[in-house]
Amino acid sequence: MRLYRRALEPRATVALAAAIGLGVLAGCSSNTPSAGTSPSPTAAASTGAATVRTSQCGIKPGVKATGTPIPLGGIVTNQPGTSFTDIANMANAYFTCVNDNGGINGHPIKYYIESEQTNPGQIGAEAKQLVQTDHVVGIVGNTSIIECSIDHSYWQKLGFFVVDSGIAPECWSTPNSAAVNMGPRYSSDGAVQYALAQHVSKVVFDQSNVPGTGYIAAGPAALAAAAHTPIVQLTENVPITDANSVAIKEVDDAGPNGAVVLNFTPPEALVILQAAQKLGLENRVKLWGCSTPCNTDFLAKALGPKWNHKLFVNAELTPALTGSPAMNLYQAILAQYGKAVSGGIGSFSQMGFVEAQILVHALHTVHGAYTVASVNAAIKAVKNFNTGMLCQPWTYGNYPMHIPNNEDYTTTPDNGHMVLAQGCTQISSVDPQIAAYRKVAG
Amino acid sequence: MPSWQDFQPFIVSGLALGGVYALSGVGTVVLYQATGVLYLAFGAVGAMGALIAWSLTNAGAPDWVAWLVCVAFGGVVTLGYGMLFGPPLARRGPLVKAVATLGLTLVLFGVMDLLWTANGGQSRAITLPTDNGGFMVGQVQVTWTQVIGLGAGVALVVVTGAFLRYTKLGTAMRAMANDREITATLGVPVRRVEAAAWLGCGVIAGVAGLLLADLVALDATTLTFLVISSLAAALIARLRSVTLTFVAAIAIGLVHDLVTPIQSLSNYRDMTPFVLAAVALLVLSRHRVISLSPEEG
Repeated sequence: MRLYRRALEPRATVALAAAIGLGVLAGCSSNTPSAGTSPSPTAAASTGAATVRTSQCGIKPGVKATGTPIPLGGIVTNQPGTSFTDIANMANAYFTCVNDNGGINGHPIKYYIESEQTNPGQIGAEAKQLVQTDHVVGIVGNTSIIECSIDHSYWQKLGFFVVDSGIAPECWSTPNSAAVNMGPRYSSDGAVQYALAQHVSKVVFDQSNVPGTGYIAAGPAALAAAAHTPIVQLTENVPITDANSVAIKEVDDAGPNGAVVLNFTPPEALVILQAAQKLGLENRVKLWGCSTPCNTDFLAKALGPKWNHKLFVNAELTPALTGSPAMNLYQAILAQYGKAVSGGIGSFSQMGFVEAQILVHALHTVHGAYTVASVNAAIKAVKNFNTGMLCQPWTYGNYPMHIPNNEDYTTTPDNGHMVLAQGCTQISSVDPQIAAYRKVAG
Repeated sequence: MPSWQDFQPFIVSGLALGGVYALSGVGTVVLYQATGVLYLAFGAVGAMGALIAWSLTNAGAPDWVAWLVCVAFGGVVTLGYGMLFGPPLARRGPLVKAVATLGLTLVLFGVMDLLWTANGGQSRAITLPTDNGGFMVGQVQVTWTQVIGLGAGVALVVVTGAFLRYTKLGTAMRAMANDREITATLGVPVRRVEAAAWLGCGVIAGVAGLLLADLVALDATTLTFLVISSLAAALIARLRSVTLTFVAAIAIGLVHDLVTPIQSLSNYRDMTPFVLAAVALLVLSRHRVISLSPEEG
């Protein structure tokens, strides 16, 4: 007995110490937007302006909506290494603002967010749950690696016209999905297009080795071919475990007058760019480019001043430092209602804001009951809506495919922030998909 | 086929990576020798230590404090696990002990994803002062961090070898590797020896985590599963020889990177640890009798 007690005590002590230690760690560690980021110069302004600006999101400032809720739904990927919950959470923040300021003709929006882990069965089930259990009348804010591929037929069958942030090809190539972003293919087009405009002699396009690389690579390949510029297409398994060799390979392939264009999420792009810097390779090519996921202040700060005006990033949405009314409203809503938006100011939360904006605009045009038919008819009828966050007015339209955002900015890091390098530029119709869309949309 | 000049920069990067694999591999082998536990949580412990160091640095703490906390975290968590779960699992087979450390891996992995989310495009990085200096080899800059990565692996092998051979504690560890029961019967304080092994392995995990976070990426998923490459090196050495573990780790790092410029093989280079480990095990295990643990029998 005595032996047992002596044996037990050290383990109990260790267990207690471990529990306390973990508690301390949880207190020290933080994933709030303030951790690891420099304060945005506009944050203070948005905080100060919050009590004035956010009321502009609704039609009756200060009047809480108390009528029958209008249920909407969204499906987002949330798994280790990939999380798009910020988009849906920002949309929810916008809806909450609207609910606090009059709602939709007095009706609050109730937004159901389902998260998935890239499991087709789960995604299909969640779509059915939103429709059959939650009785949503509209789908908005979907951002998922494969949701468009899994559910597009279901949405088409039921008459839902989805406003989303696309990833899979079906988000742009089917009639019932219209994205506010350009997605990996067209954003990569934008980045490669910028590089070609700088008269590089060769392009190295490197992206994650995930399903869909062929579809994504086809756009840059077409652009390079039209410019008579050789292009080397590379893929890397993610997460990247040896960024040094990746960076060396890219630079060797591009050559001194070439461009390296990356299509990765920020953590992967960052390790490649930092490896290039540590190896002294950042000046061994004419320029570096990246698709839109690189357009975040997180990346700009992590890269540091050596990358000022060396990396050129395709930006699908207005740069955050623009002091436009829409940007001010976005930042104010983020500050007041966006506690669940961990990434803070950046493309993801901007997308959520724009999608919610579009839905609210559509809902305000509904006369009578808010049903699946009436709401989705209103969504489909959205035409030339000026979001204040995109280069061009946004249209849903009755088309077999949708690429409503096909004009972009280019940004570049500047002392910890992404700033404008080039204003709105149309993605070239050399990409056959862009050409096809412009033909149907006019 | 690429030219010699094309391969040169990959030799440099491969050696640096192999050095850090060696660090992880040697720590794993020493712990296995002393406790019979294949410590699969090595990567996760190092990863979480590195993320804590990042958070502290971001909060304004001096770099050296953050690094010390990272190393201390590795030591404390590993020691804590060893003291808590070591005794109840002491009589279980190696498979059960290894799977138990997988539990710790998953717990830490989940905690890291909760506390340091990748949501919103957040990207984190650790930079060490030694990143900024170095020398040129051909057209490639070799940073002092890379030199330290390789040097730390070499130093650890030498120090560990000497420790195991010439010190009382090291001799006790070797005795326990042979037979724990008899060693205990001879009056060796096995719990204390095990504690020292757990603590030492944990400290190495913290150091390796910091170096890997700088050399590879500060990402929970990447660092947690990077242990697989060092595990391959340990398996090639049959979890016995520290020197062979080092050589195998260097070989894995070199082959992995040297395959990069070969276009037809480049996309398959992540298979390097598995292929080399499988080949080595097949060659080294022929004509050997395989014994099963009580659970497997």
